[in-house]
Amino acid sequence: MSPGTTTTTSRPGTSSSSSPSSSSLASFESELYLSRPYFTRRQISKLQSKTITDHRSYNSKKLTIVRYLSDLCVHLSFPRKTLETAIYYYQRYHLFHPFETELTYTLALGCLILSCKQVETITKINDIVNLSFVLRNGKPLPMTSPSSAVELENMKKRIFNLELKVLKSCSFDYRINNYIHIDEFIIKFGQKLNFHFQICHLAWIIEYDVFKLDLLLIIPQHVIALATLKLATELYGQDLEIWNKLETFTNLQVEKLSFKQAYFDILNFYINTFDLCDLKDNLPTDVPPISINEFMALKKRAGSEVGLEDITNNTSKFQQEIVDADPYLNINQNEFKMAREKRYVLSQDLIEQEVISLKK
Amino acid sequence: MSTANNTPIAKVEYTKEKKVGEGTYAVVYLGTKQSTGRQIAVKEIKTSEFKDGLDMSAIREVKYLQEMQHDNVIELIDIFMAYDNLNLVLEFLPTDLEVIIKDKSILFTPADIKSWMLMTLRGVHHCHRNFILHRDLKPNNLLVSPDGIIKVADFGLARAIPAPHENLTSNVVTRWYRAPELLFGARHYTSAIDIWSVGVIFAELMLRIPYLPGQNDVDQMEVTFRALGTPTDKDWPEVSSFNSYNKLQIYPPPSTFELRKRFIAASENALKFMSGMLTMNPVKRWSAIECLESEYFQEMPPPTNPSEIPLPK
Repeated sequence: MSPGTTTTTSRPGTSSSSSPSSSSLASFESELYLSRPYFTRRQISKLQSKTITDHRSYNSKKLTIVRYLSDLCVHLSFPRKTLETAIYYYQRYHLFHPFETELTYTLALGCLILSCKQVETITKINDIVNLSFVLRNGKPLPMTSPSSAVELENMKKRIFNLELKVLKSCSFDYRINNYIHIDEFIIKFGQKLNFHFQICHLAWIIEYDVFKLDLLLIIPQHVIALATLKLATELYGQDLEIWNKLETFTNLQVEKLSFKQAYFDILNFYINTFDLCDLKDNLPTDVPPISINEFMALKKRAGSEVGLEDITNNTSKFQQEIVDADPYLNINQNEFKMAREKRYVLSQDLIEQEVISLKK
Repeated sequence: MSTANNTPIAKVEYTKEKKVGEGTYAVVYLGTKQSTGRQIAVKEIKTSEFKDGLDMSAIREVKYLQEMQHDNVIELIDIFMAYDNLNLVLEFLPTDLEVIIKDKSILFTPADIKSWMLMTLRGVHHCHRNFILHRDLKPNNLLVSPDGIIKVADFGLARAIPAPHENLTSNVVTRWYRAPELLFGARHYTSAIDIWSVGVIFAELMLRIPYLPGQNDVDQMEVTFRALGTPTDKDWPEVSSFNSYNKLQIYPPPSTFELRKRFIAASENALKFMSGMLTMNPVKRWSAIECLESEYFQEMPPPTNPSEIPLPK
């Protein structure tokens, strides 16, 4: 087993435990990836430091891709969860693979096609690819010409090649985008908390702006859903006591620090990059026009900014050392071509069982 | 240690020793998990042959098996990539109920059938309580472990229980095990379709021949309704609004006497249990819990201990 490639899950801000590196394991030519569906922001920075050289270009392209994917989803009448999953895949890919400007549209298309399979909004691949040509070039591929047919086939080959790479980036962990999606949990939580339809609608609009952040890589979707609902109630001028009660969070199985992280991240997005938001132009008619000031007032009222540990301890040298020493964040998945077998595991138990068996 | 300068004899965790089957999207091998010596089955997914990229069946299989761990559901042990191929490592299960039903050298008792039904329903109930529809239950997909445990397998057609507004395809489940709502082409259905399949499997275990063997989709309706009666609006409100309903011949449901004649060895509770699963109206059809709590499982004989049920040699 190649040393350093076996990794373990870690809670945000804590170190990953060491890999089973007993000498008896060394004869195996196998790499083991234990799934980590979410990262801390510091971990994301570490991973992106190897894949993204120009962050400005990456961020601006990401906004274009969110728009491009949402246009495709609107034309194909896909639900929000299809878009959400495609964006998760797109961002996840760039944690492990270099960001290349020329590849972005093909990659985005690959992510959307995979997302359709994941959330069961099955559509013919040719229809999606053809629509992408229309949206980008203003006209479809002339299917009567042989060169167009070749172009379509080549495009599909590139997409399918990327499909597997995306799944590898996710460690083939399908649990993340299986049952829990922000849009569905806005409705479920909204119903549970007796919120009016309009609150949920506003939260749903806020959700669209969330896609422009990297929150999907950090916080589970149901937590994000609750954070958008809180913001929606506040934009309607409601100051609800439920947000101060611990049982609101325990009843909905929402971890409070993650929730705060999501809430402050969304607030900060509106404060720092208000011009980029879609909320201001898509407000429901009964919500008064908003500006940065509303969000600044909300932030002031929310008190000190707290969230997941490693983000609040920005200056902590210790946190950075942990991230730097984490083998999972230091390997380049493309470099380890030596191994004949790359294994993707979801449970620490499996690894421990193997170590015990090998020690016998 | 494996390094570029010092390459040892390559040893991988999973070996593929013998090809045992080939389906549309995968080749299945028998193999061994080296660290534990456990026998396993490796499903190698054909990633290059599909015009639509990675096959949906492979995605579904992984997606749903990752969600479940249960004695009566096949275990997905691991996933690995080797030479650019995707491989699923599943527990090794040497036989299935179809093989057992067809092997006339094996004699099995009503208590053995009860044991199989109990294990099957526990597996199906576990799928349903995890909001998963199997959508292809048949004897061939009920695999049997060396110690006689039934494992629900092949989740290539499975999907999450749909939200009320979602449309689904009715072209699911192998024809003989297809519930009436699917035969009518319903675009929305529930876990009741799996229970129907279990009911048909129960009948097949008692008869040792397929119970409702339609030749084609149209014939399947004819065979099903001739055996079990054509549903009417009285028992199943608005059933007549399905497009294909008008062309149907109306058959009466079988009398208790007729059912007793068909299933000579079955007790009254066994017949009640079967009728509960083969109820035409999906809303009235028994759920997995109702089946598991039925008197059939409480009366004599008790289900056989799985390890004592005969298996093919």
